[in-house]
Amino acid sequence: MTQTAQQTVRVDLEQGLHMVPCSLIVRTAERFSCEIQIQKADRSADAKTMLDLLTLSAENGSVLVLEARGAEAGEAVEALARLFKSNFVDPASGSKPAAGSDR
Amino acid sequence: MQIKRGIAVSPGVVTGEVLVLGTEDFRIPNRFVSIDAVESELGRFRNTLEAVWEEIEENERLARDELGDQFGAIFGAHLQMARDPKLIAEIEGLISENSLSPEYASSRVLRRFARELQNLGNRYHAERAVDIFDLEKRILRHLLGERREELVHLTAPVIVLAHNLTPSETANLDRKFVMGFATEVGGHTSHTAILAGALEIPAVVGLGHCLSDVSGGEMVIIDGNHGEVILEPDEATLAKYRVLEERVHSVSQRLASLKTLPAETLDGTTITLLGNIEFPEEAEVCRERGAGGIGLYRTEFLYLEQDAIPTEQDHFEAYRKVIAADPLHPVTIRTLDIGADKVPDSINELAPEMVNPQLGLRSIRLSLRNIPLFKTQLRAILRAAVDGDVRVMFPLVSNLLELRQARMILGDVMDDLEEQKVPFRRDVPVGIMVEVPAAVMLAEEFAREVDFFSIGTNDLIQYTLAVDRADPSVSDLYRSGDPSILRLIRAVISAAAKHDVAVTICGQMSSDPVFIPLLVGMGVRQLSSTPHAIPELKEVIRNLTIEQAEQIAAHAQSLDLARDVENYLRGELSRICPDLVL
Repeated sequence: MTQTAQQTVRVDLEQGLHMVPCSLIVRTAERFSCEIQIQKADRSADAKTMLDLLTLSAENGSVLVLEARGAEAGEAVEALARLFKSNFVDPASGSKPAAGSDR
Repeated sequence: MQIKRGIAVSPGVVTGEVLVLGTEDFRIPNRFVSIDAVESELGRFRNTLEAVWEEIEENERLARDELGDQFGAIFGAHLQMARDPKLIAEIEGLISENSLSPEYASSRVLRRFARELQNLGNRYHAERAVDIFDLEKRILRHLLGERREELVHLTAPVIVLAHNLTPSETANLDRKFVMGFATEVGGHTSHTAILAGALEIPAVVGLGHCLSDVSGGEMVIIDGNHGEVILEPDEATLAKYRVLEERVHSVSQRLASLKTLPAETLDGTTITLLGNIEFPEEAEVCRERGAGGIGLYRTEFLYLEQDAIPTEQDHFEAYRKVIAADPLHPVTIRTLDIGADKVPDSINELAPEMVNPQLGLRSIRLSLRNIPLFKTQLRAILRAAVDGDVRVMFPLVSNLLELRQARMILGDVMDDLEEQKVPFRRDVPVGIMVEVPAAVMLAEEFAREVDFFSIGTNDLIQYTLAVDRADPSVSDLYRSGDPSILRLIRAVISAAAKHDVAVTICGQMSSDPVFIPLLVGMGVRQLSSTPHAIPELKEVIRNLTIEQAEQIAAHAQSLDLARDVENYLRGELSRICPDLVL
């Protein structure tokens, strides 16, 4: 049985989803073996590739759908959603699985 | 035979065989590879990627340590880009399925991504294309590394002809075999030109399009005195230049004998001749030429020579070396002056996307915005000062606040060193480069707060005359002899005299024998020049009286046009030292 999970998030960054947040998304997504897509309207990007995410061109205020399919899909979506909610402020939370457990 | 005219940036005459470097930043030699080479080419690509990752990780670590997390994060993002699985798969696909060379495949895929970003219609994302070009350059540099090195592994004398040479490429030219160089682009006082002077090889820049007219191995002549390059010279021309080469050589031998004699005018006034240097090794050359110290140490070459940001230890060792070459004489260390010329990748992230680099975040402005970077350099200067007569100089200061901020940071660094019980020197003299017209207007105010002035004529001329020194279409308007420039110099000298502040002139004007009688006549007693010009300057000074210099200065300042000033000064020099006018 394939696990799936989905969550909607909003970009709250003045410059939109720029380089550094994109790299934090990749770093977080890489920790999970499941397939993760991020959708914006009719475009979809693989959360594990930087260039895909950049070409998504998600500006401030964009609404994105995080969608994972496979092992730990729920955890993966949760971890990514946390990045958006914390506004990508602490780079350490993106690379260390233990951080953010307080939320 | 074809004569190309450019800008003379380093004197001398040389004839020899030409080595032509590619017209692009990175020339891609082969677009395709043979089918049986595909496996090994894939291996080469993967090794390159690993080296690129390592290099970015190293930059990330350094940026984090030296500048803070937010700068490290930029390289972190570059690393993610370089590891992008889709990107790698696409490049490897082109290599294995279409037999493209790794160079061509990488360039094609990255440029497509860059275009895609540029077409998104979002300004921020369009600007990210720059990051992708940066990655492309990194990958190509690693792939082509050995081939581009051909300049370093020469076995016979050559004259290098290139579209452009970066300052670090110029610095790495093998002086044993590179007899001269010429480039299609570049201006009078670009860093590449300054380096050519330091290397003491004839050089001409700003030739315009000409690379396609020459093939490697053909004969060329570089006339660094007149700014000419002669392609495929005929026998008569070649013979004429060989005679000239001989004469230049004998004059320079005669001047070398002046080494131990003082730089004193006929009526007994001593003029201090100092050297401008870019590399610690040149301090030794200055001493050999009889310089009375280092008037301008351009430390930005520490940043240009390597890809990573130099550490405190890198700075410290370089400064120690300069001091050790001539411990009894002063060394004026100018803090980072970068931003207008070619910027190394490591600094690029700190000052990205300048609308107009000449008027942008450069020099002291960059240092004041990146205090950890600035403090690293100041710590090293203060520590090295224990062993010698070191002075610290801030570049491009345009208002008093900048000077006060820089002094405050210097004070903070002293307090840190004291607290950490690190040996350093507290009474280091502090001065500024006077190179922005605003600083000249406020020279009296500045004079109350500094120990010395150094007039940087290169930038002062460009900002006063509003001429981009690197733009060939207007570089003829860049004139050291312009009456406005003489008036500015006079204003600085008189403000300094009122407050008993020493004035040195550095920049190309003080390396040109033509301007020496004028400057001495205006009251300048310290000149800092490229080391190879020191013997010539000494020759002029030793054949001059102060009274004569004052008369020359008075007449020159009464003329209306730069052309008239320069012609008059050239005429005077030919009466004082006929040998020096070629």
